[in-house]
Amino acid sequence: MGFCLRTHHLTKRYGEKAVVHDINLSIRTGDIYGFLGQNGAGKTTTLRMLMGLIRPSAGEIELFGAGLKGSRAMALERVGAIIEYPGFYLNLSAAENLEIHRRLMGMGNKECIDEVLTTVGLLDAKQQKVKNYSLGMKQRLGIARALLHHPELLILDEPTNGLDPVGIKEVRQLFLDLARQRGISILISSHLLNEIELLATRIGIIHKGKLLEEIDYEALQRKARQYLEIKVDDEQRAAYILEQKLGVTDYLVAGPGILHLYERLDQSAKVNFTLASNGIGVKEIVLSGDSLEDYFLKITGGARLV
Amino acid sequence: MFSVFNTEMMKLKNTKILWLVLIGVLPANLVSLIALLPKIAPAGTPAGINLQDMFYRQGQMLTIWGPALFALMTGYIIAREYQERTINQLFSYPVARVSFLAAKLAAVLALIALTTVLSSVSVFVVGAKLVFQQHADLNVLWLGMRMNMMICALSFGTIPVAAALSMVGKNIIPVAVLGVFVTVITAIGEAGHGSQGILFPWLTPYWPVRQLAQGIAQNSGPNPYATPALVVLALTFIISLIFCVVYYARADVHSGS
Ligand SMILES: Nc1ncnc2c1ncn2[C@@H]1O[C@H](COP(=O)(O)OP(=O)(O)OP(=O)(O)O)[C@@H](O)[C@H]1O
Ligand SMILES: [Mg+2]
Repeated sequence: MGFCLRTHHLTKRYGEKAVVHDINLSIRTGDIYGFLGQNGAGKTTTLRMLMGLIRPSAGEIELFGAGLKGSRAMALERVGAIIEYPGFYLNLSAAENLEIHRRLMGMGNKECIDEVLTTVGLLDAKQQKVKNYSLGMKQRLGIARALLHHPELLILDEPTNGLDPVGIKEVRQLFLDLARQRGISILISSHLLNEIELLATRIGIIHKGKLLEEIDYEALQRKARQYLEIKVDDEQRAAYILEQKLGVTDYLVAGPGILHLYERLDQSAKVNFTLASNGIGVKEIVLSGDSLEDYFLKITGGARLV
Repeated sequence: MFSVFNTEMMKLKNTKILWLVLIGVLPANLVSLIALLPKIAPAGTPAGINLQDMFYRQGQMLTIWGPALFALMTGYIIAREYQERTINQLFSYPVARVSFLAAKLAAVLALIALTTVLSSVSVFVVGAKLVFQQHADLNVLWLGMRMNMMICALSFGTIPVAAALSMVGKNIIPVAVLGVFVTVITAIGEAGHGSQGILFPWLTPYWPVRQLAQGIAQNSGPNPYATPALVVLALTFIISLIFCVVYYARADVHSGS
């Protein structure tokens, strides 16, 4: 499968400070690429460069297998984007805003407007001025606009900002449908781990301007270390018994009443029996994986995502 | 290109731009109608309607208010994209940034033309009535029309300055300040009737107004400063336009952050 977007040593400096440093992204056709990073990590700056809004200090961008220089316009026709904030002309209705988009994108028929408004569930509000839209509605309208000209690649900067939990779920399902049914590639930035986790087929982690890791979601799952999570009434005594009776050493007291056991993963019955027969109340034993969050914490050296 | 211009005009729907046009239009119509009030000629007989005087008053009012209003219109059209955070989307289209600049300036030109036409409506209505009654000097109508066309063209000369201020400031405030400053100068300049005032580029549109008024009262002879004034205005236009083209096309876009 080919790449729909790649960057080579992409860098943006403001003065001395490299806000984006030597980033090599590779997004394959059909990927839902989660671009994950804390506030200020450099996500928006990277996406701005991709859309040609700011000039890279160094490096190159390759869209659909060709360099951006010279063919920017042709490449941009195949991309739909929301960068930073879904900006609209507030004095106009949703339909009028999309009409402007349609004309500037050179789309022939007008039916596409109602079509995308239906897709994002805003058809009823199409004559309303955007001034009266909530942030969540603007966000949906932004998605509608990004979809209007049938792009092959969506570049979405934190598109769930301002959506309520139901909205987030709907939009997530929409992205999945777009990727699976229409084969649209999606680059989606977020500072929310769990959001990316539920969506992405590939993940890039940016931290302080550097791309720390780029990995397929499946590979990431394999990488994550698994353990038995044991909930007991007395974790200290439980740990002592496990050491004494079973000789385990690779474990962690993860919290009050919680032990993480990194060995004997297939012997939960035996563990349970050993603890119970030594008078420990066992409430639960489950096999768990290192979450993406743990993994993220590890590679960013403890930086937390909000 | 025409479709880009079209979208620029669409964006003005339901905006305060139309109020700005009205502010430009109403005073000019009112003062030109003042010329209809009954007057006594020096000889003691009632004077007829003087179309030339009406045009003069209309042109004067338009060239006092116009420069500031046109600057504000420019400022709004350029700066709103930053203030309403639509600039990211605008510059993501497969359209050269220079085309957007051209379309925006063309929209301003259209608004200047609209304001000028509407500001002279009452004069032309009165003129048409006189033509109908066969009292009118067609030549005066033509002179008035020419004056208004020249006001349009000359007013456009300073528009790129307003555009430059708005794109650098990403905000309408610099242009509002410019507007106040310019209006003070145009008002003082026109009140003084001095001929060198037109050297100030925002007052150059007053040149054809004063030209038309030759023979009325204190004005006589062609303005000796016309050529240098036109040179100054042309330079202002070209330099600020080049700045706009380069800046608009090259600047990093950060709005919304
Ligand atoms: N024009 C600029 N001049 C100087 N520094 C800038 C500029 N724009 C952004 N930065 C800096 O670049 C860094 C990255 O900003 P960016 O907006 O790309 O972060 P982000 O990952 O999108 O964060 P968020 O999750 O808050 O949107 C920040 O530290 C910011 O202060
Ligand atoms: Mg951001």
